[in-house]
Amino acid sequence: MAQPFPYTYYSCDCYDSKVAPNPPKRASQPPPADDEDERTFDPRNARSNYSLYPLEHLLYCEDCQQIRCQRCVIEETLNWFCPSCLFEVPSSVIKSDGNRCTRNCYNCPVCTSPMTVNTLEDPTDPSSSGGPWILACPYCQWSTVEIGIEFEKHTGITSQLSRIANGGKTIPTAKERDKERERRKEIEMRKKDRDYFSGSEDSPSTDKDEGITPSHDDLFSNLSAFYKSQMASQTPSNPFSPHEINFSSPSSFSRIMNLYSSTTHKKQKREKPSPMREAASVHEGLNIHDPATDAAAIERIKRSGWSSTLSSSQKLAQPNPSIRFDSELRPVASLLQTKRGKRCRNCRHILSKPESKITSTRYKIKLLALNHIPRLSIRALSPIPLTTTQPVLYDYDRLRSGIPTHFLLHLSNPLFDPIRVTLATPSTTPGKIQSRVTILCPQFDVGANTDVWDDALSSTLSPIKKPTSIGPDGNPQTSIEAGKIWDRGRNWTSVVLEVVPGFLIQPLGSKEEEELEEDEDVLEIPIFVRLEFEADVNAEERGLGDSRGTEGKREKREEAFWTVVGVGRIVGN
Amino acid sequence: MSTPAPARAPSDRRTSTLGSSSSKRQSTALPKPSSIFLDPSVLIAQHAQLTGTHPITVGPNTVLHPHCKISSAHAPVVMWEGVVVYERARVGVENPRVMRTDTSRGDGVVLGKNVVIETGCVIEASEIGEGSVIEVGANIGVGCVIGEFCTISASTLLPPNTHIPDFTVVYSGLEKRVNKTLQSRPELQQAKVVMHTKQLEIFKKLVPNNVSKWT
Repeated sequence: MAQPFPYTYYSCDCYDSKVAPNPPKRASQPPPADDEDERTFDPRNARSNYSLYPLEHLLYCEDCQQIRCQRCVIEETLNWFCPSCLFEVPSSVIKSDGNRCTRNCYNCPVCTSPMTVNTLEDPTDPSSSGGPWILACPYCQWSTVEIGIEFEKHTGITSQLSRIANGGKTIPTAKERDKERERRKEIEMRKKDRDYFSGSEDSPSTDKDEGITPSHDDLFSNLSAFYKSQMASQTPSNPFSPHEINFSSPSSFSRIMNLYSSTTHKKQKREKPSPMREAASVHEGLNIHDPATDAAAIERIKRSGWSSTLSSSQKLAQPNPSIRFDSELRPVASLLQTKRGKRCRNCRHILSKPESKITSTRYKIKLLALNHIPRLSIRALSPIPLTTTQPVLYDYDRLRSGIPTHFLLHLSNPLFDPIRVTLATPSTTPGKIQSRVTILCPQFDVGANTDVWDDALSSTLSPIKKPTSIGPDGNPQTSIEAGKIWDRGRNWTSVVLEVVPGFLIQPLGSKEEEELEEDEDVLEIPIFVRLEFEADVNAEERGLGDSRGTEGKREKREEAFWTVVGVGRIVGN
Repeated sequence: MSTPAPARAPSDRRTSTLGSSSSKRQSTALPKPSSIFLDPSVLIAQHAQLTGTHPITVGPNTVLHPHCKISSAHAPVVMWEGVVVYERARVGVENPRVMRTDTSRGDGVVLGKNVVIETGCVIEASEIGEGSVIEVGANIGVGCVIGEFCTISASTLLPPNTHIPDFTVVYSGLEKRVNKTLQSRPELQQAKVVMHTKQLEIFKKLVPNNVSKWT
């Protein structure tokens, strides 16, 4: 959140609320002192960096009457949608189908831009169904032709894609996979029996494609089926029947043994996770590394060159991240996005809630700190009148040490009631470079944020104009006096701040050659702001008994927070 | 305000207000090139500018959109048939001081058949091959040689003397990849040519032709 000078950051109180309430029995250090509230806020402290935010980043909880930063809110998702087709996906479907679009939205695996469905038909010879369809990327011109996939219709791309592998071969569905697996298991059993008698490993009815490494999806489905069967074998219907002991499952073994072995209290053993055996063969999901695949990959690189391999970001976006060549790429389904609402962490009051309509960017509920907390801003007050025709911009990066400079602190009030503001700041800024700061008028009023027309018509708040003297440039000049505000308007007031920037290099006597660390020459002033005002007591009181009798009454309220005003950089003279 | 007409007899001003009202607003209004060779089927829109002293050759069925600038001030420009140059594109060597390293080709800019130069491009290349598309805002340096059926994606800056082989796509800065879709399917190349021809016909119907100014 680096901003140009001058800036104002507000401190959220959440960072010091997590001090451990029960100090551990053997604490090596004493717990922090209880006077944290009285301690002045040190913007140089490493911890304070985490609590400072510009006013626009903060929300405000009306129940707790406190500022809420982004770390003291809880987010909850309202709805899921695809950013390409803007189709809302109900959350029940998210749980089953995952967090990607299941319609026609795919991103290019090479350049990640959204792909369009194009037809391959000849424009001079249109076919009936619209020709074979492909997914094509309009930016890098990649298309599914490069991996050998063409679709029959232009809708339902997801289902068509799940059935075609690169190069046009079909991928079996889950049912077909299960059947294949059962069939192979039977062949294995028969093979084992036969091997008792013949000694040879060759048998005429072996599958022809035993030697081919199963694909990523095949392995996954085999492995998941294997683990499902393991878990099923742990909970048989009748644990005492001797016929159903599954000797391949170590968990049932251990259970049977426990029944016979001991009668002592076995509560601990029952809480152990149930053991499962590992996959032992290819049809259970075991993938033994074959050095022939490595050799084939090397030959492939020799043949097609470096440009046919994939970058790591392309690989990670793929469903199968262990592929190596661009002929194995698959289109990537678009990730779904969410609309989220924010709640206060303490009282669960809703702070921000967008509209459920996906294409609208408005918010139903929006509790911003901008509408509840006065805005402080600072600017330089140049005592030298501008005589030249060109306005010279004050250079906040070059504050001169040792010269008293005046700044104007401007407070604007967003509330509908007038507030009384008290400002406080330590007389010297904390940190290595000590600058002296004085607020000339620490206590003042700021008007309410009424309608412009109300104020113009009633004019109850007459602007306070101090006795002025006409300066050399012809404009009335107000003089800088202690105890008086500088200027005021309908809902704002400005006061003068006098700052004497400190010296960068310590005078003789201290350690020599202390290099200034980065950003230590930035002049930051911590200011403690306290507001007092009277507000209507209305529905904020949730209790039943109070609200009936106190309608229309005003309640005195008080708010306080620390701010850090960044003024500029000090340059020694 | 009268248009700053090219430095010729006032009789020409009358024809220019009737036909094109081409306001050559720049103060450096170069005289009409002494040698422009236009095919009769060329479509030159209003406000297109052909300037320079070297010969400019424009092949049949070419379309030059309004406000495009063909400049042969430093080297000749040759455009084959079916070239489309969109608005505000600039074709022609602008910086003669940059040396070309590949002297196998002649001096000047050659645009091959059916090349499309989209809006706002700056083309100083030596040669652009047939069927290539130079997308919006690209900047091709002096001496570049671009192959056939290439795609130079939007806002690409090609440094001078770059050689781009056939069927290459230049995207994302200077990433290159081979467009295997087009390379492996000649029927897709044919389809592209057919669509390009259709587009040329549409231009002929929609864009008013101001070629009489230049003949």
